[in-house]
Amino acid sequence: MACARMVKHLGLPLLLLLLALAAECNSMSPPEKPDKLGCRSPDKETFFCWWTPGSDGGLPTVHHLYYKTEGQENMRQCPDYHKAGSNSCFFSKTSIWVEYTVIVEASNALGNTSSDPLTFDLMNIVKPFAPENVTVVVNIEDSPHLTIQWHTPSNIDTKSGWVTLKNQLRVKPDKSKIWKNYASETQTHFTIYSIDLGVVYMVEVRCAIDNSWSEWSNTTFVKVPNFSRKDNSFWIMVFSLCLIPLLVAMIILILKRKTVKKYILPPVPSPKIRGVDVQLLKSGQSEDVINAMLLNQRFPVMIPWKDQKEDYLIVSDKETSYLPLEKKKIFILPLAMTLDSEVQSKETSEVDHFPKDSESSSEESSDKTESSQLLTKCSSANVLNDEKANQLKGVTEKIFQPFGISGYVDIPRHEHMQEADYSRVNEVNGDNILIMKKENVPHTLDTQGQEGSVPDNYSMVKEVNSDNMVFLEKHSESVNASFKAKGYIDWVNQKPKNLHMTGHSEMGVCPQLVGCEYVDTVPPPAVI
Amino acid sequence: FLFHKWNLLCVVTMCRAVPINDLIYRASQQSDKLHALSTMLTQELGSEVFPIDRVHACHTSSLQTPTDKEQALQVSESDLLSLARSLLQAWSDPLVVLSSSTNVLPYSAQSTLSKTIQKMQEHSKDLKDGLDILSSKMGPAAQTITSLPFIETNEIGQDKITKLLSCFRRDSHKIDSFLKVLRCRAANMQPQMC
Repeated sequence: MACARMVKHLGLPLLLLLLALAAECNSMSPPEKPDKLGCRSPDKETFFCWWTPGSDGGLPTVHHLYYKTEGQENMRQCPDYHKAGSNSCFFSKTSIWVEYTVIVEASNALGNTSSDPLTFDLMNIVKPFAPENVTVVVNIEDSPHLTIQWHTPSNIDTKSGWVTLKNQLRVKPDKSKIWKNYASETQTHFTIYSIDLGVVYMVEVRCAIDNSWSEWSNTTFVKVPNFSRKDNSFWIMVFSLCLIPLLVAMIILILKRKTVKKYILPPVPSPKIRGVDVQLLKSGQSEDVINAMLLNQRFPVMIPWKDQKEDYLIVSDKETSYLPLEKKKIFILPLAMTLDSEVQSKETSEVDHFPKDSESSSEESSDKTESSQLLTKCSSANVLNDEKANQLKGVTEKIFQPFGISGYVDIPRHEHMQEADYSRVNEVNGDNILIMKKENVPHTLDTQGQEGSVPDNYSMVKEVNSDNMVFLEKHSESVNASFKAKGYIDWVNQKPKNLHMTGHSEMGVCPQLVGCEYVDTVPPPAVI
Repeated sequence: FLFHKWNLLCVVTMCRAVPINDLIYRASQQSDKLHALSTMLTQELGSEVFPIDRVHACHTSSLQTPTDKEQALQVSESDLLSLARSLLQAWSDPLVVLSSSTNVLPYSAQSTLSKTIQKMQEHSKDLKDGLDILSSKMGPAAQTITSLPFIETNEIGQDKITKLLSCFRRDSHKIDSFLKVLRCRAANMQPQMC
C-alpha cells in the first residue's frame, strides 16, 4: 500500500523507483550457486554427479554442469542430465587415473552463478551400491546355523577382471549393541554356526571395490526357534526303547541267579572217597569214620599165581627173523593186547581176576611209567604188584597187571635148545646184533663137516642184516686170518641156499642145531 | 609347518613349485593390501592434507598407462606385468625418503605415518620378489622395466609429503588393477578367481 501512495506522488522518477522496489518485493535475482556437489562411481566405469540447487532468485533457473579432465583446456557440458535423476549428471564414458574438474552453473534471466569446482579422480569416487536380495535361512537340525545369501549389485562387470568385489557381513542379536563382522571374499553366501536358540538376529551385508565399501544393506531380521520338538521326543523314545530290554534282562538275571551262577561258575569236582561222608568227617567222630571206611571198602582178592590165566602165543618161524631179541618183542606185543582185552572186560572180572587198569588219570600215568619200567626189566613183577596193591588201598578199580607173569611164548620145538642158546648170549644189542660169548661152543652148535672156527666165532660178526647177510669185522689179530676168511667166505656164499633150504625143511636140515631158528646165517653143512 | 615363499610351497617336509595361477593370485593379494594401506593413510590423515589438484605432477607420470577400462583390457599380459613392475620399482626409493621425513608432519600424524609406511615397504618388497619370479616365467616382454627415477634424496617438506602420498595412492591402484586383470585372464577355468 505504501508503494501505491509513493507512485502517486512522484511520477517518472517514481516509476523507476517503482520498478526497483517491485523487484525487491518480488525477490527476483540471479540464482544462488549450487551447493554440495558430489560424484560417485558404482562400477569403476561410469559415474554420476549431483548437486543441490540454491534459490532460484524468483526466476526460472537452469543448471548446467561443466567438466574437464586434466590436460584439456575447455570445459565440456554434461552428456546426460536425466539418467541419474534431477539435479544430476550421468557420465557413461570415463577415464581413470586422470583428474576431473566439475562445475555446476545455475543461470536465470538475471545472471549465472557457478558452484565451487570439484576435482576428483575416478578411483577416488568408486563406491558400489549395497548388495541386493539378502536372504537368511535358519537351520536347527544338527547344529543350529544361519545360511545367508545375497546378490552383487547390478551392472557390475566382474567377468573381465576390471572389477573384483570383496564382501563383508555383520550379525548381532537385536538386543545387543555389538556387531560381529565376518569376511567373505568373492562368495555371495555365508554360514554362521555360533548362534543361540530363541534369539532374534539382525543381519547386514556390504561389498567393496578396490577397498572402497558400499553402504550396509537393509537389515534382515530372523528368529531362531527355541528348541526342536521333534528332536526331543525322538531322543526320549530312543532312550526308553533302549532302557526296557535292559530292565527285562536285569530282572531275568536276578530271578535266575542261581542258574546263572551255576553256568558261569561251574562247580569244581572235588575228590570223593566212596563210603566216606565228608560231613561225617567234619563232624569229627572218629569211630564212625573208621567204620565207614573199613566196611565200605573192597580189597582186591589175592589169587595164587597158578590159577592165573595162561595165554599162549604161537610164533611163526618162516619169514621173520629169529633173533632172540625179536622174540622179546613178541613177548611184548601180545601182552599189550591182552591188557587191552582185559581192560575192556573190567566189569566182569572184578573179584576173580586181578583188577585191571585203574581209571583215575593220575594213577594211570603213574601206571604207564611203571609199565615201561616193567617192560625193560621184566623181572620181580610180583613184588611190584603187591606193592601196588598196597598203594591203591581202597581202590575198587583194577590194578595193573604186570607182564612177565600172565603170558609167555611157548615154542614147541626147541625149548631146551632155547635155554642153551640163551646161555651163550653175551649181550643183546638194539636191533639185530647178537653177540655171543667167546667160549667153546658145545658140539650142538657146530655144523657137521665144517671147520669149527667158522660158526664158533660170532664175535667176528659185525652186523647181521635182515636178508641173511653177515658183515664181518676186520679183525687184525686173527690167528689164521686167511683160514678164517676162507671159512667165512664159504660160509657166506652158502648162505642164501641154506636159508632157502632152512625155510622149507626145518627139521631135516637142522635137526639138532640150536641156532637154526634164531640165527639165520648158520648153514647146515649137509647141504654142501 | 607351512612355508610359503614365492616359488615354493612347503608343507612339513614336502615342497612343490607354486603354479603360475597361484603366483598371480598371491601377487594380487599383496597389491590389494598395498593399496588398502595407502587408502587408509589418506583417509586417516584427512582430506585437508591431500589437496587433490596437485596430483598430476608425479614422478611416474611419464609412464604411459591405459586410461580407461577398454584400453586396459586390450593390454597384453606381459605388458601389464611390465607396467606393474616398473611402477613398483619406481617407489622403492621414495618410500625410504618418506619414512625418514615423518617428523615434518604434525605430531598426531607421525606415528600413524611411520608405521604405515613401514608396512607399505614390506609389502612392496614382497610383491617385487613375487613379480620377479612371475615375469621370469612369462617371457622377455615381461622382463622390461622402465626406469622412473626419483630425484629427491634429502628430507622433504610437508607439501611434498602429501603430494607423494597422493601419487603413491594412484600408482598403487594402477598396480592393483593391472594384476587383477592379469589374474582374471590367467584363470580361464576358474571364474571364482575374477
